[in-house]
Amino acid sequence: MKIIIAGAGDVGFHLAKLLSFESQDIYLIDMDSEKLEYASNHIDLITKKGDATSIKLLKEVNIDKADIFLAVTESQNTNFTVAVLAKKLGAKKTIARISNHEFIQGTDIDFAEIGIDFMISPGELAADEIKMLLNQSAFNDTIQFENGTLNILGSSLDYNSPLINLTIQEAREKFSEIEFITIAIKPENSGETIIPRGNTVYHANDQIYFSAPKESIKNLYKLMGKTQFGVKDVMILGGGKIGVKAARSLCDNKFNIKLIEIEKERAKEVAEKIPNALIIKGDGRNVELLEEENISEMDAFVAVTGNSETNIMSCLVAKSKGVKKTIALVENMDYINISQTIGIDTLLNKKLLAANVIFKHVRKGDVLKLANLHNVDAEVLEFRVKENSAVTKKLVKDINITKKAVFGGVIRNGVAHMTFGNFQILAGDKAVVFCLPEAIHKVEKLFN
Amino acid sequence: MKGINFKIIISFLGLTSMLNGIFMLFAVPFSMYYGESEKWGILQAGLLTIFIGFALWFFNNNAKKNLGKKEGYLIVTLGWLMLSFTGTLPYVFTGTIPNYTNAFFETISGYSTTGSSILTDIEAMPKGILFWRSATHWIGGMGIIVLTVAILPLLGIGGMQLFMAEAPGPSADKMHPRITETAKRLWLIYFILTFVEFFLLKFAGMTWFDAINHAMATMSTGGFSTKNSSVAYYNNIPLIQYIITLFMFIAGANFVLTYFALKGKIQKVFKSEEFRYYFFGVIFFTLILSVIILNYRDLNLVTSIHHPEPWGRTESAFRHAAFQVVSVLTTTGFVSADFTMWSSIGTMLMFSLFFIGGSAGSTSGGVKIVRHIVMIKSSFYEFKKLLHPNAIIPVRYDNGSVPKTIIYNILSFFVLYMLIFIFSSILLTVFGLDFISAMGAAASSLGNIGPAVGTVSPVDNFAHLTIPAKWTCSFLMLIGRLELFTVLILLTPFFWKKC
Repeated sequence: MKIIIAGAGDVGFHLAKLLSFESQDIYLIDMDSEKLEYASNHIDLITKKGDATSIKLLKEVNIDKADIFLAVTESQNTNFTVAVLAKKLGAKKTIARISNHEFIQGTDIDFAEIGIDFMISPGELAADEIKMLLNQSAFNDTIQFENGTLNILGSSLDYNSPLINLTIQEAREKFSEIEFITIAIKPENSGETIIPRGNTVYHANDQIYFSAPKESIKNLYKLMGKTQFGVKDVMILGGGKIGVKAARSLCDNKFNIKLIEIEKERAKEVAEKIPNALIIKGDGRNVELLEEENISEMDAFVAVTGNSETNIMSCLVAKSKGVKKTIALVENMDYINISQTIGIDTLLNKKLLAANVIFKHVRKGDVLKLANLHNVDAEVLEFRVKENSAVTKKLVKDINITKKAVFGGVIRNGVAHMTFGNFQILAGDKAVVFCLPEAIHKVEKLFN
Repeated sequence: MKGINFKIIISFLGLTSMLNGIFMLFAVPFSMYYGESEKWGILQAGLLTIFIGFALWFFNNNAKKNLGKKEGYLIVTLGWLMLSFTGTLPYVFTGTIPNYTNAFFETISGYSTTGSSILTDIEAMPKGILFWRSATHWIGGMGIIVLTVAILPLLGIGGMQLFMAEAPGPSADKMHPRITETAKRLWLIYFILTFVEFFLLKFAGMTWFDAINHAMATMSTGGFSTKNSSVAYYNNIPLIQYIITLFMFIAGANFVLTYFALKGKIQKVFKSEEFRYYFFGVIFFTLILSVIILNYRDLNLVTSIHHPEPWGRTESAFRHAAFQVVSVLTTTGFVSADFTMWSSIGTMLMFSLFFIGGSAGSTSGGVKIVRHIVMIKSSFYEFKKLLHPNAIIPVRYDNGSVPKTIIYNILSFFVLYMLIFIFSSILLTVFGLDFISAMGAAASSLGNIGPAVGTVSPVDNFAHLTIPAKWTCSFLMLIGRLELFTVLILLTPFFWKKC
């Protein structure tokens, strides 16, 4: 498949990387030759320097043969223009990254008609993500499938967890009444995610990923050594687009919101927009201010200012004051892997979120959902199992799924089933697979 | 960076070695066809090479698949060393070249597509071994690392590092977004062209065995012939020499352009600045040398390669001038006539061509035309800059400007190239060569050309060199083929330091 990406920023780079793992033909366009050089040294693709809005340049990369055109530059207007041009020049499908979510919601305008097949707003995605994370307070990563029938949950293992020093096999036997599969472990202080085998041992402070049906979640808290706490009072730092969106939807869900914004004018604006929240004008880096506003009484602290370092530092302050749940928005992709080490529950990256949603669109349609986890470099895919695909021909234990991927359960007729060794996957099931990026291609083959 | 990933390097070397062993086995049927007893030696060499490769690969199969820059340089350099050492096995096992230094020299001369030989009587060699000699050219021409990338899709990201480190020229062009596809295309074109040339040579009157060998040696710009007098053997059949001239010319041009030409986009070929200089440069030097040969030929020089004139005197002069210019410029090193007999002017002109080389992205060696274009342009603009110190004058090439980093890279490449040339010439005189021959042997080995001047002229060979001189030349051939930086970077302290 020929894919042209305009914009070699974080979203473009991350997308190119994901796509290159499955041997797509990728062209990357950007004005910045340094970014392009970096990309061509790290990803298997052809780069083209220049303005993506140039028709001549688009023709040079044979846009008429492109299957998908992704406009993901920083500028919404550029993305709009380029996507329209690309469509008119013959690209089959165009996807544009936007910042104004009005284009997606609450309008009757048919953008497909002018040439933009799909739009994506990273800010919107981040706000949704925050809401979901706060609902599953003990976990620092949550992905729901089919409205929560099956869940992928991530959490670090506390010292008092009964799992510690057991192997996967022992744990399964000991807690056979609880349905769950351990799909990935990231040991403390290690940048590497491992797919556990039967003899892998749980250690304290490991970041663990489970797949579990809805009914098991309560019991999992116990296994993790955590007590469940309801999140009620949330402090949000930063009244930007994401902060406001998150605050509004949390208010609608009966959370108590305290929002801190540094600029007076903006704070006033936000106060008008969200009448139910308490808006405070002040600097989030000021610890005294945070204390004055009872930070230690908060259940969760969400830092979504435009500055990654402010977000991280203020989350650390919140943590030290006893806030149980902290979420920080970061721009820098490289920080994602170190969230556990530095002690913040979840690091959100809106570009990564955007890249994954776009990635799903690039896929050929048999992928129902693709999500990435916040704290590890891995993907979770949901497939609709087709007739005669390789996975339906063998028992789970006999399927050669590579060492870099693992089944996380299937949903059959709205009921979640755990996929242990003797499970037979059938056509029509929705199967959830956890895999490291380089294994995506192989996993896909199993489902075709 | 967590140190160097040696496991992946060794496993990759194993794969390369296995491929090399398979190529050796191709020589066995030839040996069997001619009923030679050497077939067993070649078979053993092939199987042993495959076995070594398999063992290396098998025990390191679990390597992490991350390939950085350092691993790339190491793989290419060590891969080529490994290739050269295992490549000597057929010579050693069959006892055809008993002296190991000689066997190594002949092998590296083959892989680096130099074409200098230590054999004094080539025609007496078994056919299977002659085929292996030409096969080393063919493998080394397009590069076995590129072949490994092409047929084993085990590397996505690291592939580019390897490709850049092995492919000739200051920057590697991709014909396709994916590196494996690019590598596949390169090898496909290479194979097709070799096959077409084989067919034409057979048609023009060569025996099929000679046709195969000459085709492989031409397309790789190697220069090993199956005849003692090289292509001068065919001085009575001008058609053969014209065919070889044409294919040497194609092999010395950028393969990306050949790819476009084969796809019917001829106009793209002439749009390339490098190709225009290459094309007109060949014509220019051919004409000058034709005139020189015409005027000096009758001086009754005693030469072992005479110029028969089946199609007349002028044609003969033109043909030999064209053949030798293309042969030296593309660094092939086939010999139709002894250019050291073409008067001092002729010899000097030919010697100066030693330092030019073919196009980037071809199988030729040397400095490469594109580097010369950029160097001359940027030096020329220095004058302008002296007068207008604040002027911004980009070095234009192919409708774009050359980035400063590439200019510096090219300039330092050339400086390094000349320093190595001078230093190794001195070294060769220390090892017993005379002044002229030392310069010739150094320039010829470094540029992967083959014949040189003095006692290593086109009608002589390298057999009489002392052992240290042969190893010096072997080293020069290796670093010349891999374009200096890839090998020399391993000798720098920064390569092995962590910061």
